[in-house]
Amino acid sequence: MCNNNAIQLKEINKSYQKGNNQVVVHNHFNLTIKSGEFVAIMGPSGLGKSTLLHLMGGLDKPTSGEVIIQGENIAELSESALTTWRSENIGFVFQSHHLLPVLSAQANVELPLLLTPLTKKQRQQHAETALALVNMSDRAKHFPKELSGGQEQRVAIARAIVSDAQILLCDEPTGNLDRNTANEILTLLSKLNKEFGKTIVMVSHDLKVSEYVSRVIDLEQYLGSKECQTNSIPTNVTINAATNATTTPTINTTINTTTEA
Amino acid sequence: MNLLYLIWRNSLRKKTRFVLTLLSVVVAFFLFTTLAGIDNALNSSITNSDGLRLITSHKISMTRSLPINFQQKIQTISAVDKVTYASWFGGFYQNEKNQLAVTAVDKQNYFSIFDEYQLPESQLKNWQVTRTGIIIGEEVAKKFHWQLGDIVPLSSSIWMNLDGIFTWEFIVSGIYHGKNATTDNKKIFFQHKYFDQARAYSQNSISWLSIKVKTSADIDSVARLIDDNFANSSSPTRTISEQVFMKEQAQQFIDMAMVIKIVLSAVFFTLLLIVCNTMMQIIRERLSEIAMMKALGFSSFYLSAQVYLESLFTLSAGALLGSLFAHITLSSIKVVMAEFLPGIAIAPQHYLHLFALILLAAAICTVFPAMSIYRLTISQNLGAKA
Repeated sequence: MCNNNAIQLKEINKSYQKGNNQVVVHNHFNLTIKSGEFVAIMGPSGLGKSTLLHLMGGLDKPTSGEVIIQGENIAELSESALTTWRSENIGFVFQSHHLLPVLSAQANVELPLLLTPLTKKQRQQHAETALALVNMSDRAKHFPKELSGGQEQRVAIARAIVSDAQILLCDEPTGNLDRNTANEILTLLSKLNKEFGKTIVMVSHDLKVSEYVSRVIDLEQYLGSKECQTNSIPTNVTINAATNATTTPTINTTINTTTEA
Repeated sequence: MNLLYLIWRNSLRKKTRFVLTLLSVVVAFFLFTTLAGIDNALNSSITNSDGLRLITSHKISMTRSLPINFQQKIQTISAVDKVTYASWFGGFYQNEKNQLAVTAVDKQNYFSIFDEYQLPESQLKNWQVTRTGIIIGEEVAKKFHWQLGDIVPLSSSIWMNLDGIFTWEFIVSGIYHGKNATTDNKKIFFQHKYFDQARAYSQNSISWLSIKVKTSADIDSVARLIDDNFANSSSPTRTISEQVFMKEQAQQFIDMAMVIKIVLSAVFFTLLLIVCNTMMQIIRERLSEIAMMKALGFSSFYLSAQVYLESLFTLSAGALLGSLFAHITLSSIKVVMAEFLPGIAIAPQHYLHLFALILLAAAICTVFPAMSIYRLTISQNLGAKA
């Protein structure tokens, strides 16, 4: 096993019970994503793209198989352990941003930090930095209803990165946005990948994403491919992200740099 | 931003719903506290005479009279300090709309036993030597603008005098004021001796006797002794403490304690339904948000605790306002029902009950939302499609 693997799905079987019928979504599915990759999973609806993302994020459990994230098989974790694990390791960006309407942009970004031992001031600092990274500092006090769709998605991205999670899972983050705004969000995600070394897995229907990512997985083709069966990385993939964790800035180092400046 | 801020913001998310729910809670706790105050009065053992007074009346009914010589017989009991008697005159001034509580009393010692009716010594002495004199409460004096020395005609629907008429003339000889806020200031007293001589019938009879015992420990034994003494007489008696007497008077109209229990049960059942329903509505509306928060790493316990605190906030705010309004209402009721139902007050332990009840109600209101939270599947509520 390569230590550079951020995500490994091994022999994943996933099926749902719908009434009396068993619906098989994934059957002996294998996938490896390296640290620092920016991967887009594409394909028609109903192939289980979001299910894959939810398995990687510990939001759902496979019927069988291993979900190894940064060396830990999360399929074996209990619900409560998974909850804690998610707060420490994964940042989520959803198509519907799911911002709390009663909280300002800054408070929404601070939300995941309520689970950390950070002080109120430290939480504020982290949220301000995350908002600055997504160019939303000037909208920190605005409530979601006062923001455009793109701005809301930026805030959602800031919320995903504020805990400094190394893996970002994005479920159709540009699905509700117009072309220009979608490009802005993709540029932002690309920046987080390249400058901060975030491993990003994105589910999308948007063909334009291939211009921003390091690897596109067309799930329809991939399911029939040898890679899917053997769990090997396709040879034609170029990983263009910064992968050296020691030299890659994090939210914490960014805060320190900002404070020192 | 912290958890309390989040709870505050979430509570006020739909202001109209919050206000309506809060009002329901306010009404519930208003009733709870008000009825607790009345219940306290019904169950209180505190009387104006520190529980030393007994009332002896005819065993069959208060409307049946007793011989006046019972006073001397009761006075012979060693544990008895003083005995006095009284007869109900009823009465009204000018027309029956002006009903008055007029009582004929023993001029010698009635006011020494009922020391809550306070008047200057000179006025008391003047009344004792004025055959047709009356002592009136200051509220009566104020209402009818009566002054010392005024001659006032009072009519009775029960008692005819020797002149064959129901209107009696009295002279205002004294004006009393209550010893404390709960004392009734609307009473009128006149001499029983004059009443006995001037009425057309039922001479030498009285309506009831009031007995003051030497120590409160004697109260039960004295009551038993009096009733045993007269058990085989032509007028068997029933002797009860003044507090029980008051309670019975109130319960002649309605079984207050039972009504209170029924109303309280209904109030809390309704309260729970309202708040539970509101919390369930809230949870249904926020399913995707809860799923998102779970995805971010918030545990089901944390989110349930948040719902509990939100319920607690609404219930506490409602209880605070409801209790405040109840205090204001009870202050008014207390004055109006001072004599009829003394002891209306909110006992300190009521607040402990209130606090426990709020905690319990919030917990019950959290049960179903918490079950929803625990059962919630993140992937389904975030819109995952296979």
